[in-house]
Amino acid sequence: MSASTRFAENAGMNESPTFPLRVVDGLSLPPDYRKALRPGEEWKDLNGFPRQLPRYFYEIPSWDSAMKVELATHFLLWEFIQVDVREAPPLRTFPRYVPCAITLLAVCLERFREAVGTLVHISANGGYRSPSHRFSKNATPHAWGTAANIYRIGDTYLDNRNAIERFSLIARETLPGIWTRPYGAPTGYAEDHLHLDLGYVLSVPRDVKS
Amino acid sequence: MRPSPAVTKAATVSTDRERALRHQIEKIEKESGAKAIAVALRDVESDLALHYHADRWFHAASTIKVPILLGVFAAIDRGELLPHSRVHVRNRFLSVVENIPFRVESGRDSNSAVHNAIGKMMRVDELAYHMITTSSNLATNLLLGVIGPDAANQTLKELHLEKGIELRRGVEDELAFEKHINNMVTADGLLRILVMLAEGKAFSPGLSRRMMDILHGQEFNQGIPARLPKVARVAHKTGEISTVAHDAGVVYLPKRKPYVLVILTEWDPGVSGRSRTIAAISHTIYELLTQDPMDE
Repeated sequence: MSASTRFAENAGMNESPTFPLRVVDGLSLPPDYRKALRPGEEWKDLNGFPRQLPRYFYEIPSWDSAMKVELATHFLLWEFIQVDVREAPPLRTFPRYVPCAITLLAVCLERFREAVGTLVHISANGGYRSPSHRFSKNATPHAWGTAANIYRIGDTYLDNRNAIERFSLIARETLPGIWTRPYGAPTGYAEDHLHLDLGYVLSVPRDVKS
Repeated sequence: MRPSPAVTKAATVSTDRERALRHQIEKIEKESGAKAIAVALRDVESDLALHYHADRWFHAASTIKVPILLGVFAAIDRGELLPHSRVHVRNRFLSVVENIPFRVESGRDSNSAVHNAIGKMMRVDELAYHMITTSSNLATNLLLGVIGPDAANQTLKELHLEKGIELRRGVEDELAFEKHINNMVTADGLLRILVMLAEGKAFSPGLSRRMMDILHGQEFNQGIPARLPKVARVAHKTGEISTVAHDAGVVYLPKRKPYVLVILTEWDPGVSGRSRTIAAISHTIYELLTQDPMDE
C-alpha cells in the first residue's frame, strides 16, 4: 500500500492502522441511506432464493480519498464506485458507502490482472452498485461489492464472443470459485463485458460488536 | 370596422409572397426528382406563414433528436437530471421488437467521441451536444434510455406539441425499421417545437436558450445554411437516411427577427441532389423574405 493511502482519517472501528476508511454499521445511517442501501435485508435473486444484503460498509468521505485509496496494487477504490444517474440520489454524493467485501474483490482482480499481464478496466455501473440502482432488478453480487463488469483488458474490448470467452477462461483458471457470466444476449448472459463475481459474500470486520 | 388601407396592403403582400413561394417551391420540387417535399415556415418579422404539404408524414430520421432533446431538458426542468449528471456509455440497446439487443455500428455513426467513451461515463449535456451537433446515434440512444420514450412523449403532450411528432423508438433499430415501426414527423410538427424554442417558451427562457445554443453548434451545414449569406446564423438539425433528407431550424439575420423553417424531403434510394434541393428552397425563402415588399 502506498504512502498516499496511509492518511489515518477516521480510523473508527477499523483495527488496521494503515487502512484509511472507517467501517460503519449500515443500520446506524440516516434513513435516506438506509432506504437506498437496505443493510442486512433479504433480497431475492433471479431464482427466487433470498440473499442477505451487506450490513457493514466502508465510508468514503470524498472523491479525493477514493482516488487515493489502493484496494490492491493496481486497483484504486474509485474504480469500483463509478455509478451513473441510475444510482439512488443519496448514493451519488459523498460520503459514499461500499460493502466491506469490496477488498476481497480487489484482491481477486489483482490476481486476475497478474494472469492477463495488462490493465483491467471496470466499467461504469460495473463495480459496486446499490440494491436501489435502476439496473438492480434482482439480488446481484454487484450490491455485495463482490462483482465486476470488465469492458476492456489492455487494448482488447470485451464486446465479442472470442474475447469474453478467452478472458473468462483465464479468470476461472486463476480464481478458484469465481463465477463468470456466459457469453450471450439473454438475461443472465453478457455480450459486451466480462462479468465475474465471488457470490453473495458478507464481510464482517473483526471489531464489529453487534 | 373596415381594415385600413395599410393593413389591407400588408395582407395582400403577405398573400402574394406566400403564393410566390409556393410557386417557387413547386418548381424546385419538379426539377429535383424528389418523391415528396414539405415545407413549413413561420417568419416572426413579417408574420408570414407557409404550410406546403406540411401535414404530410415523413420518416423522421435524425430530426427526431429535437423532440428527444426537449425530453432531456424536461427531465432537467423537473430536477430528475442535471446537465452534469453522468451516464454510462454502453453500446447495447433493446429493439422495440421483442427486446432483441442491438448495437449502434461505429462506422454508421458520424461521431467517434461517444464511441471512444464506451465503458466510461459522459455528462448529459455532452451527450446532448453530440446528439445534435454531429448527430451521434449512440448519444441519442443513451439519452433516450435515461429519460424513456414515454416520458419524452409525455413532455410533448404537456407542451401541446404532440401533433405531428411520433416518437416510437431510438435510432438504428433495424428490426423496428424492417417492421415499419419508425419515428415520424410532419413539417408542421417540427415547426411548432422550433417556434417554441426560438420564443424561449420551452420550460424557461434559460433552458430554451441552452437548447438553442446546442442547435447553433450544428456541424452539418449543407442544407438550410448552405446558400445563405455568411452573416446568417442557423440553429438547426438535419436528418438523413436512404430515402429522406431533412433540415429544420431557426434562421437569424442581422436587423430582423428570425424565421423558423422546416424542409422535409423524400427520395428514391440513390437519387442525388438532396442537400442541393434543401439549400435551394432555403435560398428562395431567404430571398423572398429579405426582399423589400415595395420592390414587388
